[in-house]
Amino acid sequence: MYGLEAITHYNGWAQAIIGATIVLAGLSALSFAISQIRVLAEYLERRKSASENGGPPGLVRLSPEEPAPGDLAQTIRKYQQLVQRLASPFSLQDLYAACRKHGFRHPHQSIKMLREAGVLQATGDGTFTWRPDVVSNPISH
Amino acid sequence: MHLFIQFLTNTGYYLGDYRNWLMIVVGCFFIYLAIAKNYEPLLLLPIGFGVLVGNVPFFKGFGLGIYENNSVLHYLYFGVTSGVYPSIIFLGLGAMTDFSSLLARPRLMLLGAAAQVGIFFTLLSALALGFLPKEAASVAIIGGADGPTSIFLTAKLAHHLIGPVAIAAYSYMALIPIIQPPIMRLLTSRQERLIRMPEPREVSRTELLIFPIAGVVLCCFLAPASIPLLGTFFFGNIMKVSGVVDRLAQTARTAIIDTATILVGFCVGASTQGDVFLTPKSVKIFILGAVAFSIATASGILFGKIMNLFLKEKINPLLGAAGVSAVPGSAREVHMMGLHEDPENFLLMHAMACNSSGVIGSAIAAGVLWSFNVI
Repeated sequence: MYGLEAITHYNGWAQAIIGATIVLAGLSALSFAISQIRVLAEYLERRKSASENGGPPGLVRLSPEEPAPGDLAQTIRKYQQLVQRLASPFSLQDLYAACRKHGFRHPHQSIKMLREAGVLQATGDGTFTWRPDVVSNPISH
Repeated sequence: MHLFIQFLTNTGYYLGDYRNWLMIVVGCFFIYLAIAKNYEPLLLLPIGFGVLVGNVPFFKGFGLGIYENNSVLHYLYFGVTSGVYPSIIFLGLGAMTDFSSLLARPRLMLLGAAAQVGIFFTLLSALALGFLPKEAASVAIIGGADGPTSIFLTAKLAHHLIGPVAIAAYSYMALIPIIQPPIMRLLTSRQERLIRMPEPREVSRTELLIFPIAGVVLCCFLAPASIPLLGTFFFGNIMKVSGVVDRLAQTARTAIIDTATILVGFCVGASTQGDVFLTPKSVKIFILGAVAFSIATASGILFGKIMNLFLKEKINPLLGAAGVSAVPGSAREVHMMGLHEDPENFLLMHAMACNSSGVIGSAIAAGVLWSFNVI
Protein backbone atom coordinates (compact mmCIF):
# COMPACT_ATOMS: atom_id res chain seq x y z
CA MET A 1 0.00 0.00 0.00
CA TYR A 2 1.35 3.41 -0.96
CA GLY A 3 0.56 7.13 -0.94
CA LEU A 4 -2.28 8.81 0.88
CA GLU A 5 -4.09 5.50 1.13
CA ALA A 6 -1.24 4.05 3.21
CA ILE A 7 -1.08 7.13 5.45
CA THR A 8 -4.81 6.98 6.13
CA HIS A 9 -4.82 3.20 6.58
CA TYR A 10 -2.05 3.29 9.19
CA ASN A 11 -3.52 6.30 10.99
CA GLY A 12 -0.52 8.37 9.93
CA TRP A 13 -2.24 11.78 10.04
CA ALA A 14 -3.31 11.32 13.64
CA GLN A 15 0.15 10.00 14.65
CA ALA A 16 1.89 12.97 13.05
CA ILE A 17 -0.42 15.64 14.42
CA ILE A 18 -0.71 14.21 17.93
CA GLY A 19 3.00 13.38 18.05
CA ALA A 20 4.08 16.88 17.02
CA THR A 21 1.60 18.39 19.47
CA ILE A 22 2.88 16.27 22.36
CA VAL A 23 6.51 17.21 21.65
CA LEU A 24 5.66 20.90 21.33
CA ALA A 25 3.48 20.82 24.46
CA GLY A 26 6.12 18.93 26.41
CA LEU A 27 8.91 21.31 25.57
CA SER A 28 6.66 24.35 26.08
CA ALA A 29 5.80 23.04 29.55
CA LEU A 30 9.47 22.44 30.27
CA SER A 31 10.30 25.91 28.97
CA PHE A 32 7.69 27.42 31.31
CA ALA A 33 8.95 25.33 34.20
CA ILE A 34 12.51 26.50 33.52
CA SER A 35 11.42 30.12 33.58
CA GLN A 36 9.90 29.50 37.01
CA ILE A 37 12.98 27.69 38.32
CA ARG A 38 14.71 31.06 38.60
CA VAL A 39 11.96 32.39 40.84
CA LEU A 40 12.08 29.28 43.00
CA ALA A 41 15.87 29.33 43.17
CA GLU A 42 15.93 33.01 44.15
CA TYR A 43 13.34 32.35 46.85
CA LEU A 44 15.36 29.43 48.20
CA GLU A 45 18.57 31.46 48.16
CA ARG A 46 16.91 34.42 49.92
CA ARG A 47 15.59 32.13 52.62
CA LYS A 48 19.00 30.56 53.00
CA SER A 49 20.83 33.87 53.30
CA ALA A 50 18.13 35.25 55.59
CA SER A 51 18.42 32.30 57.93
CA GLU A 52 22.21 32.69 57.90
CA ASN A 53 21.99 36.45 58.63
CA GLY A 54 19.08 36.13 61.01
CA GLY A 55 17.04 38.67 59.01
CA PRO A 56 13.60 38.36 57.51
CA PRO A 57 13.28 36.44 54.22
CA GLY A 58 12.99 38.41 51.00
CA LEU A 59 15.38 41.19 52.06
CA VAL A 60 17.84 42.08 49.29
CA ARG A 61 20.78 44.26 50.24
CA LEU A 62 21.94 46.86 47.74
CA SER A 63 25.42 48.28 47.71
CA PRO A 64 25.38 52.07 48.25
CA GLU A 65 27.81 52.43 45.33
CA GLU A 66 25.55 50.49 42.98
CA PRO A 67 24.85 52.60 39.87
CA ALA A 68 21.21 53.05 38.91
CA PRO A 69 20.26 50.68 36.07
CA GLY A 70 20.85 52.36 32.72
CA ASP A 71 23.14 55.10 34.10
CA LEU A 72 26.06 54.88 31.68
CA ALA A 73 28.29 57.50 33.32
CA GLN A 74 28.05 55.88 36.74
CA THR A 75 28.58 52.43 35.26
CA ILE A 76 31.71 53.62 33.44
CA ARG A 77 33.01 55.20 36.65
CA LYS A 78 32.46 52.00 38.59
CA TYR A 79 33.89 49.67 35.95
CA GLN A 80 36.90 51.95 35.36
CA GLN A 81 38.39 50.85 38.68
CA LEU A 82 37.81 47.24 37.84
CA VAL A 83 39.23 47.37 34.32
CA GLN A 84 42.41 49.08 35.56
CA ARG A 85 43.22 45.90 37.45
CA LEU A 86 42.99 43.78 34.27
CA ALA A 87 45.67 43.53 31.61
CA SER A 88 44.63 45.18 28.34
CA PRO A 89 43.21 43.77 26.13
CA PHE A 90 41.10 41.52 28.32
CA SER A 91 38.44 38.89 27.72
CA LEU A 92 34.83 39.32 28.81
CA GLN A 93 35.22 36.14 30.80
CA ASP A 94 37.94 37.85 32.92
CA LEU A 95 35.75 40.90 33.33
CA TYR A 96 32.79 38.78 34.49
CA ALA A 97 35.05 36.93 36.89
CA ALA A 98 36.30 40.24 38.32
CA CYS A 99 32.70 41.49 38.62
CA ARG A 100 31.73 38.38 40.55
CA LYS A 101 34.80 38.64 42.76
CA HIS A 102 33.99 42.22 43.72
CA GLY A 103 30.26 41.57 44.12
CA PHE A 104 29.07 43.77 41.22
CA ARG A 105 25.36 43.37 40.59
CA HIS A 106 23.88 42.82 37.10
CA PRO A 107 27.24 42.44 35.33
CA HIS A 108 25.59 41.10 32.14
CA GLN A 109 23.31 44.10 31.86
CA SER A 110 26.11 46.58 32.61
CA ILE A 111 28.60 44.97 30.24
CA LYS A 112 25.97 44.86 27.50
CA MET A 113 25.37 48.60 28.00
CA LEU A 114 29.11 49.31 27.91
CA ARG A 115 29.50 47.29 24.70
CA GLU A 116 26.59 49.02 23.03
CA ALA A 117 27.99 52.42 24.02
CA GLY A 118 31.34 51.44 22.46
CA VAL A 119 33.20 51.77 25.75
CA LEU A 120 34.11 48.11 25.52
CA GLN A 121 35.53 47.67 22.03
CA ALA A 122 36.23 44.28 20.46
CA THR A 123 39.73 43.81 19.12
CA GLY A 124 38.52 41.06 16.79
CA ASP A 125 40.32 38.18 18.46
CA GLY A 126 37.84 37.63 21.26
CA THR A 127 39.33 40.27 23.58
CA PHE A 128 38.20 43.82 24.40
CA THR A 129 39.77 47.18 25.13
CA TRP A 130 38.45 49.90 27.46
CA ARG A 131 37.59 53.12 25.59
CA PRO A 132 35.70 55.50 27.86
CA ASP A 133 36.77 58.37 25.57
CA VAL A 134 34.21 57.38 22.91
CA VAL A 135 31.37 58.60 25.13
CA SER A 136 30.46 62.25 24.46
CA ASN A 137 30.77 63.21 28.15
CA PRO A 138 33.85 61.38 29.23
CA ILE A 139 34.26 60.80 32.91
CA SER A 140 36.89 62.68 34.84
CA HIS A 141 39.67 60.67 36.38
CA MET B 1 46.66 -29.56 -4.09
CA HIS B 2 43.05 -30.35 -3.19
CA LEU B 3 43.61 -28.93 0.27
CA PHE B 4 45.10 -25.78 -1.21
CA ILE B 5 42.13 -25.30 -3.55
CA GLN B 6 39.75 -25.86 -0.65
CA PHE B 7 41.60 -23.20 1.31
CA LEU B 8 41.38 -20.78 -1.61
CA THR B 9 37.62 -21.30 -1.94
CA ASN B 10 37.21 -20.42 1.72
CA THR B 11 39.01 -17.08 1.43
CA GLY B 12 37.17 -13.78 1.35
CA TYR B 13 38.51 -13.08 -2.15
CA TYR B 14 36.66 -16.09 -3.51
CA LEU B 15 33.47 -15.69 -1.45
CA GLY B 16 32.98 -11.96 -1.86
CA ASP B 17 30.57 -10.45 -4.34
CA TYR B 18 30.24 -6.93 -5.75
CA ARG B 19 28.06 -5.80 -2.81
CA ASN B 20 30.83 -6.47 -0.31
CA TRP B 21 33.32 -4.56 -2.45
CA LEU B 22 30.88 -1.68 -2.87
CA MET B 23 30.42 -1.44 0.88
CA ILE B 24 34.19 -1.61 1.40
CA VAL B 25 34.49 1.43 -0.89
CA VAL B 26 31.82 3.18 1.24
CA GLY B 27 33.75 2.25 4.41
CA CYS B 28 36.97 3.65 2.93
CA PHE B 29 35.11 6.84 2.01
CA PHE B 30 33.95 7.25 5.63
CA ILE B 31 37.50 6.70 6.85
CA TYR B 32 38.72 9.27 4.32
CA LEU B 33 36.10 11.82 5.49
CA ALA B 34 37.09 11.22 9.12
CA ILE B 35 40.84 11.46 8.66
CA ALA B 36 41.34 13.80 5.69
CA LYS B 37 38.32 16.09 6.10
CA ASN B 38 37.93 15.78 9.88
CA TYR B 39 34.14 15.29 9.47
CA GLU B 40 32.84 13.86 12.75
CA PRO B 41 35.90 11.58 13.09
CA LEU B 42 34.74 10.19 16.44
CA LEU B 43 31.79 8.61 14.63
CA LEU B 44 32.89 8.10 11.06
CA LEU B 45 36.17 6.36 11.86
CA PRO B 46 34.62 3.56 13.98
CA ILE B 47 31.70 3.24 11.55
CA GLY B 48 33.96 3.24 8.49
CA PHE B 49 36.24 0.58 9.90
CA GLY B 50 33.23 -1.40 11.08
CA VAL B 51 31.93 -1.37 7.49
CA LEU B 52 35.26 -2.85 6.33
CA VAL B 53 35.18 -5.58 8.99
CA GLY B 54 31.50 -6.35 8.45
CA ASN B 55 32.02 -6.81 4.73
CA VAL B 56 34.82 -9.31 4.85
CA PRO B 57 33.13 -12.33 3.23
CA PHE B 58 33.22 -15.52 5.27
CA PHE B 59 31.97 -19.06 5.21
CA LYS B 60 28.46 -18.96 6.72
CA GLY B 61 27.91 -21.16 9.74
CA PHE B 62 31.32 -20.62 11.34
CA GLY B 63 29.84 -18.23 13.92
CA LEU B 64 31.80 -15.26 12.60
CA GLY B 65 29.27 -12.75 11.28
CA ILE B 66 27.39 -10.16 13.25
CA TYR B 67 24.08 -11.84 12.41
CA GLU B 68 25.26 -15.33 13.43
CA ASN B 69 24.43 -16.57 16.91
CA ASN B 70 27.30 -16.90 19.37
CA SER B 71 29.76 -14.88 17.32
CA VAL B 72 31.80 -12.22 19.15
CA LEU B 73 30.38 -9.51 16.92
CA HIS B 74 26.87 -10.74 17.64
CA TYR B 75 27.44 -10.31 21.39
CA LEU B 76 28.85 -6.83 20.88
CA TYR B 77 25.90 -6.01 18.60
CA PHE B 78 23.51 -6.97 21.41
CA GLY B 79 24.26 -3.61 23.03
CA VAL B 80 22.86 -1.96 19.91
CA THR B 81 19.80 -4.15 19.37
CA SER B 82 18.83 -3.99 23.03
CA GLY B 83 19.22 -0.20 23.17
CA VAL B 84 21.88 -0.41 25.92
CA TYR B 85 24.57 1.64 24.16
CA PRO B 86 22.29 4.61 23.34
CA SER B 87 21.25 4.82 27.00
CA ILE B 88 24.89 4.82 28.07
CA ILE B 89 25.72 7.50 25.49
CA PHE B 90 22.90 9.64 26.87
CA LEU B 91 24.33 9.26 30.36
CA GLY B 92 27.63 10.68 29.12
CA LEU B 93 25.88 13.41 27.12
CA GLY B 94 24.04 14.51 30.25
CA ALA B 95 27.30 14.65 32.17
CA MET B 96 28.76 16.84 29.40
CA THR B 97 25.90 19.24 28.79
CA ASP B 98 25.84 22.69 30.31
CA PHE B 99 22.25 23.90 30.49
CA SER B 100 23.08 27.41 31.74
CA SER B 101 22.34 29.13 28.44
CA LEU B 102 19.03 27.29 28.13
CA LEU B 103 18.09 28.20 31.70
CA ALA B 104 19.04 31.80 31.03
CA ARG B 105 16.72 31.99 28.02
CA PRO B 106 14.04 29.27 28.25
CA ARG B 107 12.11 30.42 25.19
CA LEU B 108 14.92 29.05 22.99
CA MET B 109 13.60 25.64 23.93
CA LEU B 110 10.70 26.19 21.55
CA LEU B 111 13.13 26.18 18.63
CA GLY B 112 14.23 22.71 19.68
CA ALA B 113 10.59 21.64 19.64
CA ALA B 114 9.92 23.17 16.22
CA ALA B 115 12.84 21.35 14.66
CA GLN B 116 11.17 18.03 15.53
CA VAL B 117 8.53 18.71 12.88
CA GLY B 118 10.91 17.05 10.40
CA ILE B 119 10.37 13.75 12.23
CA PHE B 120 6.62 13.78 11.82
CA PHE B 121 6.72 14.97 8.21
CA THR B 122 9.07 12.10 7.41
CA LEU B 123 6.76 9.69 9.19
CA LEU B 124 4.05 10.56 6.67
CA SER B 125 6.48 10.39 3.74
CA ALA B 126 7.75 6.96 4.81
CA LEU B 127 4.23 5.59 5.15
CA ALA B 128 3.42 6.96 1.70
CA LEU B 129 6.49 5.21 0.26
CA GLY B 130 5.29 1.84 1.50
CA PHE B 131 7.09 1.43 4.82
CA LEU B 132 5.15 -0.33 7.57
CA PRO B 133 4.27 1.89 10.58
CA LYS B 134 7.09 0.61 12.81
CA GLU B 135 9.60 0.99 10.00
CA ALA B 136 8.26 4.44 9.13
CA ALA B 137 8.69 5.58 12.75
CA SER B 138 12.28 4.31 12.76
CA VAL B 139 13.08 6.14 9.52
CA ALA B 140 11.33 9.32 10.68
CA ILE B 141 13.46 9.67 13.79
CA ILE B 142 16.47 10.42 11.53
CA GLY B 143 14.90 13.89 11.33
CA GLY B 144 15.85 14.38 14.97
CA ALA B 145 19.48 14.16 13.85
CA ASP B 146 20.41 12.19 16.89
CA GLY B 147 22.37 8.98 16.29
CA PRO B 148 21.77 7.24 19.64
CA THR B 149 18.05 8.10 19.59
CA SER B 150 17.71 6.77 16.02
CA ILE B 151 19.47 3.54 16.97
CA PHE B 152 17.43 3.17 20.14
CA LEU B 153 14.05 3.57 18.44
CA THR B 154 14.99 1.40 15.47
CA ALA B 155 16.25 -1.31 17.84
CA LYS B 156 12.88 -1.28 19.56
CA LEU B 157 10.65 -1.09 16.49
CA ALA B 158 12.44 -2.40 13.40
CA HIS B 159 15.83 -3.84 14.28
CA HIS B 160 16.34 -5.14 10.73
CA LEU B 161 16.75 -1.49 9.70
CA ILE B 162 19.36 -0.52 12.31
CA GLY B 163 22.22 -0.51 9.80
CA PRO B 164 20.72 1.81 7.17
CA VAL B 165 18.99 4.08 9.73
CA ALA B 166 22.13 4.51 11.84
CA ILE B 167 24.38 5.02 8.83
CA ALA B 168 21.94 7.58 7.38
CA ALA B 169 21.63 9.43 10.72
CA TYR B 170 25.37 9.59 11.32
CA SER B 171 26.17 10.42 7.68
CA TYR B 172 23.85 13.40 7.71
CA MET B 173 25.25 14.53 11.04
CA ALA B 174 28.71 14.44 9.48
CA LEU B 175 27.41 16.36 6.48
CA ILE B 176 25.94 19.21 8.53
CA PRO B 177 28.47 21.71 7.09
CA ILE B 178 27.17 20.83 3.63
CA ILE B 179 23.42 20.39 4.27
CA GLN B 180 22.55 23.20 6.69
CA PRO B 181 24.23 26.39 5.40
CA PRO B 182 22.33 26.59 2.08
CA ILE B 183 19.01 26.14 3.92
CA MET B 184 19.98 28.77 6.49
CA ARG B 185 20.94 31.26 3.76
CA LEU B 186 17.83 30.52 1.73
CA LEU B 187 15.39 31.08 4.59
CA THR B 188 16.91 34.13 6.26
CA SER B 189 17.72 37.64 5.12
CA ARG B 190 21.10 39.21 5.89
CA GLN B 191 19.39 41.55 8.34
CA GLU B 192 17.99 38.57 10.23
CA ARG B 193 21.37 36.86 10.30
CA LEU B 194 22.86 40.02 11.79
CA ILE B 195 20.52 40.03 14.81
CA ARG B 196 22.63 39.99 17.95
CA MET B 197 21.62 38.04 20.97
CA PRO B 198 22.13 39.60 24.42
CA GLU B 199 24.60 38.01 26.78
CA PRO B 200 22.88 35.25 28.75
CA ARG B 201 22.33 36.05 32.42
CA GLU B 202 24.25 34.24 35.08
CA VAL B 203 22.53 31.07 36.26
CA SER B 204 22.73 30.00 39.89
CA ARG B 205 23.76 26.55 41.06
CA THR B 206 20.33 26.04 42.60
CA GLU B 207 18.70 26.50 39.18
CA LEU B 208 21.12 24.04 37.60
CA LEU B 209 20.28 21.53 40.34
CA ILE B 210 16.52 21.90 40.02
CA PHE B 211 16.55 21.56 36.21
CA PRO B 212 17.36 17.82 35.83
CA ILE B 213 14.74 16.95 38.45
CA ALA B 214 12.11 19.11 36.75
CA GLY B 215 13.19 17.65 33.40
CA VAL B 216 12.65 14.05 34.50
CA VAL B 217 9.35 14.81 36.16
CA LEU B 218 7.98 16.67 33.15
CA CYS B 219 9.42 14.77 30.19
CA CYS B 220 9.44 11.20 31.47
CA PHE B 221 5.95 11.51 32.95
CA LEU B 222 4.71 12.90 29.63
CA ALA B 223 6.36 10.20 27.50
CA PRO B 224 7.41 7.29 29.76
CA ALA B 225 8.89 5.50 26.76
CA SER B 226 11.66 8.10 26.76
CA ILE B 227 12.87 6.96 30.22
CA PRO B 228 15.82 4.89 28.90
CA LEU B 229 17.19 7.97 27.15
CA LEU B 230 16.07 10.95 29.22
CA GLY B 231 16.34 9.16 32.56
CA THR B 232 20.06 8.53 32.04
CA PHE B 233 20.51 11.94 30.38
CA PHE B 234 19.22 13.90 33.34
CA PHE B 235 20.98 11.55 35.76
CA GLY B 236 24.28 12.33 34.02
CA ASN B 237 23.47 16.02 34.26
CA ILE B 238 22.72 16.03 37.97
CA MET B 239 26.00 14.20 38.58
CA LYS B 240 27.75 17.04 36.74
CA VAL B 241 26.03 19.99 38.40
CA SER B 242 25.84 18.59 41.91
CA GLY B 243 29.61 18.78 42.25
CA VAL B 244 29.58 16.04 44.89
CA VAL B 245 30.34 13.12 42.57
CA ASP B 246 32.93 14.69 40.28
CA ARG B 247 34.68 11.37 39.83
CA LEU B 248 31.53 9.68 38.54
CA ALA B 249 30.61 12.61 36.30
CA GLN B 250 34.13 12.70 34.89
CA THR B 251 34.00 8.96 34.15
CA ALA B 252 30.56 9.26 32.53
CA ARG B 253 31.63 12.05 30.19
CA THR B 254 34.94 10.45 29.24
CA ALA B 255 35.56 6.73 29.60
CA ILE B 256 31.94 5.55 29.59
CA ILE B 257 30.66 7.60 26.65
CA ASP B 258 33.87 6.93 24.69
CA THR B 259 33.56 3.17 25.18
CA ALA B 260 29.90 3.20 24.14
CA THR B 261 30.69 5.38 21.11
CA ILE B 262 33.44 3.04 19.96
CA LEU B 263 31.22 -0.01 20.30
CA VAL B 264 28.13 1.53 18.77
CA GLY B 265 30.08 2.96 15.82
CA PHE B 266 31.98 -0.24 15.13
CA CYS B 267 28.93 -2.52 15.49
CA VAL B 268 26.68 -0.32 13.37
CA GLY B 269 29.38 -0.27 10.69
CA ALA B 270 29.79 -4.03 10.89
CA SER B 271 26.04 -4.51 10.55
CA THR B 272 26.15 -3.20 6.98
CA GLN B 273 26.94 -6.53 5.34
CA GLY B 274 26.46 -5.94 1.62
CA ASP B 275 23.88 -8.68 1.13
CA VAL B 276 21.75 -7.36 4.01
CA PHE B 277 22.38 -3.64 3.61
CA LEU B 278 22.25 -2.97 -0.12
CA THR B 279 18.53 -3.10 -0.76
CA PRO B 280 16.07 -0.65 -2.37
CA LYS B 281 14.75 0.03 1.15
CA SER B 282 18.14 1.37 2.23
CA VAL B 283 18.16 3.77 -0.71
CA LYS B 284 14.70 5.02 0.29
CA ILE B 285 15.89 5.44 3.89
CA PHE B 286 18.84 7.55 2.73
CA ILE B 287 16.58 9.78 0.63
CA LEU B 288 14.03 10.15 3.42
CA GLY B 289 16.82 10.84 5.91
CA ALA B 290 18.08 13.78 3.84
CA VAL B 291 14.52 15.11 3.50
CA ALA B 292 13.92 14.70 7.25
CA PHE B 293 17.11 16.49 8.18
CA SER B 294 16.47 19.38 5.77
CA ILE B 295 12.88 19.85 6.93
CA ALA B 296 13.96 19.77 10.57
CA THR B 297 16.49 22.52 9.86
CA ALA B 298 13.98 24.58 7.89
CA SER B 299 11.18 24.24 10.43
CA GLY B 300 13.44 25.42 13.25
CA ILE B 301 14.45 28.51 11.27
CA LEU B 302 10.88 29.30 10.19
CA PHE B 303 9.65 28.95 13.75
CA GLY B 304 12.32 31.42 14.84
CA LYS B 305 10.98 33.87 12.27
CA ILE B 306 7.43 33.33 13.49
CA MET B 307 8.52 33.91 17.09
CA ASN B 308 10.05 37.23 16.01
CA LEU B 309 6.61 38.42 14.90
CA PHE B 310 5.52 38.36 18.54
CA LEU B 311 8.70 39.17 20.44
CA LYS B 312 9.91 42.64 21.38
CA GLU B 313 13.48 41.43 21.72
CA LYS B 314 14.10 39.62 18.42
CA ILE B 315 15.99 36.37 18.27
CA ASN B 316 18.37 35.41 15.49
CA PRO B 317 16.38 32.89 13.39
CA LEU B 318 19.58 31.06 12.48
CA LEU B 319 19.35 29.57 15.96
CA GLY B 320 16.39 27.49 14.76
CA ALA B 321 18.79 25.41 12.67
CA ALA B 322 20.46 24.32 15.91
CA GLY B 323 17.13 22.96 17.13
CA VAL B 324 18.07 19.61 15.61
CA SER B 325 19.91 17.58 18.18
CA ALA B 326 23.19 17.12 16.32
CA VAL B 327 25.39 18.26 19.21
CA PRO B 328 27.51 20.30 18.76
CA GLY B 329 27.76 20.24 14.94
CA SER B 330 24.66 22.27 14.16
CA ALA B 331 25.36 24.81 16.93
CA ARG B 332 28.85 25.26 15.54
CA GLU B 333 27.44 25.79 12.05
CA VAL B 334 25.01 28.46 13.28
CA HIS B 335 27.84 30.17 15.14
CA MET B 336 30.08 30.13 12.07
CA MET B 337 27.38 31.61 9.87
CA GLY B 338 26.69 34.34 12.43
CA LEU B 339 30.41 35.14 12.58
CA HIS B 340 30.64 35.15 8.80
CA GLU B 341 28.03 37.92 8.63
CA ASP B 342 29.30 39.85 11.64
CA PRO B 343 32.65 38.93 13.24
CA GLU B 344 31.39 40.11 16.62
CA ASN B 345 28.14 38.17 16.65
CA PHE B 346 28.75 35.23 18.96
CA LEU B 347 25.83 32.82 18.75
CA LEU B 348 27.46 29.66 20.07
CA MET B 349 26.08 29.74 23.61
CA HIS B 350 22.56 30.43 22.38
CA ALA B 351 22.81 27.78 19.67
CA MET B 352 23.94 25.24 22.27
CA ALA B 353 20.77 26.01 24.22
CA CYS B 354 18.68 25.12 21.15
CA ASN B 355 20.83 22.04 20.59
CA SER B 356 20.27 20.77 24.13
CA SER B 357 16.54 21.26 23.81
CA GLY B 358 16.71 19.41 20.48
CA VAL B 359 18.23 16.41 22.28
CA ILE B 360 15.37 16.43 24.79
CA GLY B 361 12.80 17.00 22.02
CA SER B 362 13.99 14.14 19.83
CA ALA B 363 14.07 11.78 22.83
CA ILE B 364 10.46 12.72 23.65
CA ALA B 365 9.53 12.23 19.98
CA ALA B 366 11.17 8.79 20.06
CA GLY B 367 9.21 7.90 23.18
CA VAL B 368 5.97 9.08 21.58
CA LEU B 369 6.58 7.13 18.36
CA TRP B 370 7.50 4.03 20.35
CA SER B 371 4.32 4.24 22.41
CA PHE B 372 2.22 4.74 19.25
CA ASN B 373 3.64 1.57 17.75
CA VAL B 374 3.62 -0.75 20.75
CA ILE B 375 0.80 -3.21 20.27
